[in-house]
Amino acid sequence: MKNNLSVKIILWIAGLILLTGLPHVIGIYYTNMVVAFAIFSVFALSLNMLLGFTGLLSFGHAMFFGMGGYGTALALTHIPGLAVIPAVGIGAATAVLLALILSPLVVRVSGTAFAMLHLAFGQLLFVVALKLYKITGGEDGIGNFPMPGLFTESLSTSPVHFYYLAMIILGLCVWLMWFVTKTPFGQIQVGIRDNARRIDYLGYQVPQTKAVVYVLSAFFAGIAGSLYGLSHNLVSAEGSLGLWMSFYPIIATMIGGVGSFFGPILGVAVFQGIDELILRYTESTELVMGVILILVVMFLPAGLMGFISSLMLRLKSRSCKNQS
Amino acid sequence: MNILETRNLQHSFGPLKVLFGVDLQIAQGERHAVIGPNGAGKTTLFNTITGTYRPTAGEVFFNGKNITGFPPYRLARIGVGRSFQITSTFANLTAFQNIRLAILAKDGIRFNLFRKVDQMKKISQETDEMLQRINLYEDRHTKASALSYGKSRALEISMALATDPELVLLDEFAAGMSKEETQDAVALIRRLTEGKTVVLIEHDMDVVFSLADRITVLHYGKILATGKPEDIRNNQDVKDAYLGDLEV
Repeated sequence: MKNNLSVKIILWIAGLILLTGLPHVIGIYYTNMVVAFAIFSVFALSLNMLLGFTGLLSFGHAMFFGMGGYGTALALTHIPGLAVIPAVGIGAATAVLLALILSPLVVRVSGTAFAMLHLAFGQLLFVVALKLYKITGGEDGIGNFPMPGLFTESLSTSPVHFYYLAMIILGLCVWLMWFVTKTPFGQIQVGIRDNARRIDYLGYQVPQTKAVVYVLSAFFAGIAGSLYGLSHNLVSAEGSLGLWMSFYPIIATMIGGVGSFFGPILGVAVFQGIDELILRYTESTELVMGVILILVVMFLPAGLMGFISSLMLRLKSRSCKNQS
Repeated sequence: MNILETRNLQHSFGPLKVLFGVDLQIAQGERHAVIGPNGAGKTTLFNTITGTYRPTAGEVFFNGKNITGFPPYRLARIGVGRSFQITSTFANLTAFQNIRLAILAKDGIRFNLFRKVDQMKKISQETDEMLQRINLYEDRHTKASALSYGKSRALEISMALATDPELVLLDEFAAGMSKEETQDAVALIRRLTEGKTVVLIEHDMDVVFSLADRITVLHYGKILATGKPEDIRNNQDVKDAYLGDLEV
């Protein structure tokens, strides 16, 4: 037990050193890729809070991602001298605000109704962002907003600083989301996924519990969206509110494994890896991802993570057999 | 005082009337069986009492308090629990996690986002005690969906009882069980419901006559008779309508 703990600590320290040194080893191009990977991991994990852990499929999760981006971009445009962390906070708060407005309605439905309602609201928000061009910049979006620095330099001129900022915030998000699954609340959440009626009969309020999950999920999606906007210094309707942005985390989660906490991260890694590889040969990354999704759904319904854990189980039982 | 009382309880599904004014009186501490042929409205009676449906007319009282149309979670919090005819556990959670959810509910731990549930020693201990009482300790890490039928039924009943309700309604707990499993389940219910009031729907007459202090016979949505087991056994109306030439 104690040994286990010290191994853990050593692994953590090694990981931290690796992440700290990374931008100096792999160069700016790949550093930015790591940041994007972390952003989409948090985005997919926030979706999986709903999909995998509460049994709610949303076709409009980009809403919260986009609200995070627009919130931060508008705040930095209109509030002179705003520091970067409050700006991210405003983005997350904007996403939370939207979730609070929608939650009284959406927590009372589930299944197809939940999915379709989110498709509708997501598209509505997309169109609103295009039409309110005086505020949102329409199709152009909001670009070149001021980028305050973490210390003195502007973040836009110092991608390494941005890398540290993003990784710290996103790492914290991953840890928080992981922690939630371990709390009593996390147990009630999976209880709702498995059997909402029984949760009700045990004395828990299902809609209220769902609302808390929903708001938490929006909060983390908002942070991801905010950092995404900062990383590009641009927030646009197509780029952060579009339909593809709602489907991306669903597909990544399905490929990685809906049932496991870390599945979505694996899914995003596969996504990005393939993106990077096939962009050298063809532009149609969506086509390749579609084919992979079909294969995974048909042959690995528990996703790559489910496949790995069933492999481990088989190996374990084989070694047990050999021993006896 | 009666712990549970229904007054002129009625329920319809659209044009189909299922309950025609049921007046049920359950005394504190008794084990009361509701029997009757299929379609008599037994489960509907349970569902209107426990908040699955709001009754079309009539009232329900628990300890003298009007609880008509209370949603299930409110009933659970004031001490009314129920189990289901069709096993309704958390399929992807282990037996331990299933019972633990009931224990957490009993202790009112609902929105705790700040502690790991595995580190709540008191909760784990209570959960383990419950698992031992229901002979599921060995299977504590088995998913509910992988338990044998008898064991999953035991889990189903225990979840209703683990919240420590004052009154528990058991809907056909022995449905589909073998003779042996039924005997175990009867013993389990005797053990776990000591000091509690139990209302049970049951088809197995052996179970009914061995467990119940009093019996109510429901027939086409009305009460045909209520009384002690021997009175029911000898009641001519009941014989005609339901028990018939059953050897009991």
